[in-house]
Amino acid sequence: MEATAKRVIPDDMLHIFKRTMPFQVVSDPMLRKIAARSWRASYDAGALLYDVGDKADDIFIIVSGKVEHALEPGVKARRPVLSLGPGDVFGWAALLEKYPARLAKAVCIEPVEIIRINGEELLRVLESEPDTGDVVMSRFATMITRDYTVPDLIAQLRGIHRQMHSGDIQGMNLTLYRFSLWARSPRPYLMLIGFALFLGFWYLAVEVWKLPRFREMPGITTVVKEWFSKDPTYGLSIYTGEYYQHIAMSVWRVTQAFFLATVLGVPFGLFLGWSRTFKEFLFPAFEMLRPIPILAWVPLAIVMFVATESAVIYLTFLASFFATALNTMLGVESIDESYTRAASCLGASKWQVFRHVIVPGALPFVFTGLQISVGVSWFSLVAAEMVSGQYGLGYVINTSYTMVRYPTIVIGMITLGAVGYVTSAMVRMAGDYMMQWRVRELALGSQ
Amino acid sequence: MAAGMQAARPAASRGAIRIEDVVKVYDPDGAAVMAVDHCSLDIEPGEICMIVGPSGCGKTTLLNAIAGFHSITSGSITLDGEVLCSERKPKAEPGSDRIVVFQNGALFPWKTNLENVAFGPTMLGKLSKSEVTEKALGMMADAGLSGVEHNFPGEVSSGVRRRVEIVRALMNDPKVLLLDEPYRALDSLTKSVMHEALLEIYYKNKVTIFFITHDLEEAIFLGHKVAIMTTRPCKPKKVLTVDIPHPRDYSVLTSKRFRELMEETSDAVHEEALKAFRAGEKEG
Repeated sequence: MEATAKRVIPDDMLHIFKRTMPFQVVSDPMLRKIAARSWRASYDAGALLYDVGDKADDIFIIVSGKVEHALEPGVKARRPVLSLGPGDVFGWAALLEKYPARLAKAVCIEPVEIIRINGEELLRVLESEPDTGDVVMSRFATMITRDYTVPDLIAQLRGIHRQMHSGDIQGMNLTLYRFSLWARSPRPYLMLIGFALFLGFWYLAVEVWKLPRFREMPGITTVVKEWFSKDPTYGLSIYTGEYYQHIAMSVWRVTQAFFLATVLGVPFGLFLGWSRTFKEFLFPAFEMLRPIPILAWVPLAIVMFVATESAVIYLTFLASFFATALNTMLGVESIDESYTRAASCLGASKWQVFRHVIVPGALPFVFTGLQISVGVSWFSLVAAEMVSGQYGLGYVINTSYTMVRYPTIVIGMITLGAVGYVTSAMVRMAGDYMMQWRVRELALGSQ
Repeated sequence: MAAGMQAARPAASRGAIRIEDVVKVYDPDGAAVMAVDHCSLDIEPGEICMIVGPSGCGKTTLLNAIAGFHSITSGSITLDGEVLCSERKPKAEPGSDRIVVFQNGALFPWKTNLENVAFGPTMLGKLSKSEVTEKALGMMADAGLSGVEHNFPGEVSSGVRRRVEIVRALMNDPKVLLLDEPYRALDSLTKSVMHEALLEIYYKNKVTIFFITHDLEEAIFLGHKVAIMTTRPCKPKKVLTVDIPHPRDYSVLTSKRFRELMEETSDAVHEEALKAFRAGEKEG
C-alpha cells in the first residue's frame, strides 16, 4: 500500500494518455487539463489497490506492470477475472455515479506504475467540452462492455452518457443559447431601431404633425397612459382584472382549437401523405375547403353550433387544422424514398415503417405547420370573437370600436401581438425539444 | 492461383445470385426505353462482384430488381436457387436477406448511430433489446466505430456514416449486400480508407457483395469478379476474374498484375463512357 506519489511533466503523461483507448480522441489542450489533475504512483507486487465495496474515487491507467482485476459475481461479467497490462484502464466504477462503490478487487501482480485521476474531476473536465466528453464516455462504455464483459451495466452506462448529453445544447438550453447568440449580434439593436422608428412615426404623425389621416387615431402617449393607468378612463388597463379575463379567455380558446387542430390535423396529414388512395379520395375536397376564408364560415358556424362558445372554437380550429394537415402531408412527401426502402429492406413491416420513418421524418414539417397553425388560430380567433362570443381580445377590440374607446382598441391589438408571439415561441421550443437530431445538425451547420 | 483464391475467400455457402436473361423496359410516356437488355450474370456465394459502367447505364435498375424496389420485364433472378423475380412475378419482395446500402446514404437522421445499427433486429424482434444492443455495440467496435454510438449520423463524417450503414446492413446477417456507388460522394483519401475498411468487414462476415461503381480502379481493387456493362441498354460487355489473391491491401494498387488488369479493361470501359457521353449529347 506504500504509494509514492510524485508529479511528472505533463508532456510525458500526454504521451501515455494518447495511447490509452478512451483518451485517443482528446485534443492536446484538454489532455493537458486532464493531466494536470492526474498523478503518478508506484506500487509493489501484491499491493491491494482497492477491494469490492471501497469508495470508488479514482480511475487508474497502467503505465507498466500487471494488475489482476476481479469483478464481484453480482455484476455477472462473462469473464470476471482479467489480467491487465500497460495501457489498460480500470477503476471505471468511479464514472458510474456520484461516489459509488468499487465493483471489483484490484491487486498488483508485479511492481506497477500507475496514473490516477479522480473520477469526479475527470467528469468535470469532460463536461467542459461536451462533444469530446461524449466520445470519451462512450469509449469507456465500449471498453466496459467489450473488455470487461459486463453487458448488464449497459443501462447504467447509457445513463452516464445521457447525463453527459444534458450538458449539451438541447431544448430549453438551446433556446437560451440562441438567445445569447442573438443578444451578442447586431440584431437586437436593429430590432430596437425598427421599433423606435415605428413608434416614433406613430408619435409624430398623430401628436406632433397631426396628419389628417390620423385625426381620430389615439396617440401613443394616450395609449400608454391608459394601458398603465390605475384608473383607466375606458375601463381597461394592466391594473383591471377584466384585462386578464379577456387574455385568459382568448388563450383558453386558442388552446382548445390548437389542440383539436393538432390532434386531428397531424394524423390526417400523415395519412394523406402516406396513402395514395386516401389522398386521392380526400385531398381534392380538402383543397376546395382550405381557401374559404374564416369569415365566410361564420354564418354556418352559428347555425351549426347553437352555443356561441363552440362556434368560436370551431372557427378558430378550422384554419389551424388546414395548416397543420397540409404541412404534415408535405412533410411525409418530403421524406427521401431511400429511407422507406432501407427500412423495408431491414425487415420493418408497413406499420413499423410508418412509426419509425414516416412520423419522425415528417416531424420538421409538422412543427413548421404547428407554428403556422398557432399563428392563424390567433387571427381566426379574433375574427370569430368579433362576430360572436363574449370576452376575449377580439371581443374587446370590436366592442371598443362600437363604444368609441379608441385607446382600448390599440391596447387589445398590442396585447394580441405579444401573446401570439409567446405562443408561437413555445411551439418552436417544443419542436426543438422533440427533434434533438435536427437541433444538433443545425448547430453543427452554423459552426 | 484459382485454388488459392478460393481458399482466401470466406467459405460462404449461401448468397449465390443468378441473373438470367433479364430485360427491363421503361415505358413512362409511350416511348419504350430499354434499360437492361438480356442480361445474364452468375455471382458465386461470398463473392465480391463489381458492376462497372458509366452513370445512367442501367446498373442501378439491375440492383433495384434484386432488392425488390423495381419490377423486371422478362427473364429471372434467383438467390440460392429461389426465384426472386421472373416474368410471372415481376417484382421481388424486399427482404432482410438482401440489404441495400444507398448511394446517398440512408441512415435515419433522427436515430443515433447505435439505434440505426440496431434497427433491423429490433424490427424483426427476434432478439431481446439488450441482446440487440450488445450485438450492435460489438459489431460497431469491430468496425472501428467505438465512440460514435450515441451521436446522430448528422454529427459524424460521411466516411463514418458509410461504415455505420454497412454495419447496419450486416446486423441482419444478410446473404447479399447490395451497394449502389456507396463511396461516390467521398473524397479519394477517405475512399481509400473506406475500401480497406470494407474489405476488413468483408473478411469477418461471409456475405456476397454486389457492388455498383463507375470507378474501374475501385472495381479491380475490391472485386473477385468485375462485370463491365454496356451503356443503355445495360448488359455485361466483359466479365473479368481478378486473380489477385485476397486478403488485399493498398499495396495491390502498385502491383504489376493490377496494372495489367487495368490495361486489359480500361479500353472497354472508356468505349462505353464515350458511348454514354455521345448519347447524352444527342439527348441534350
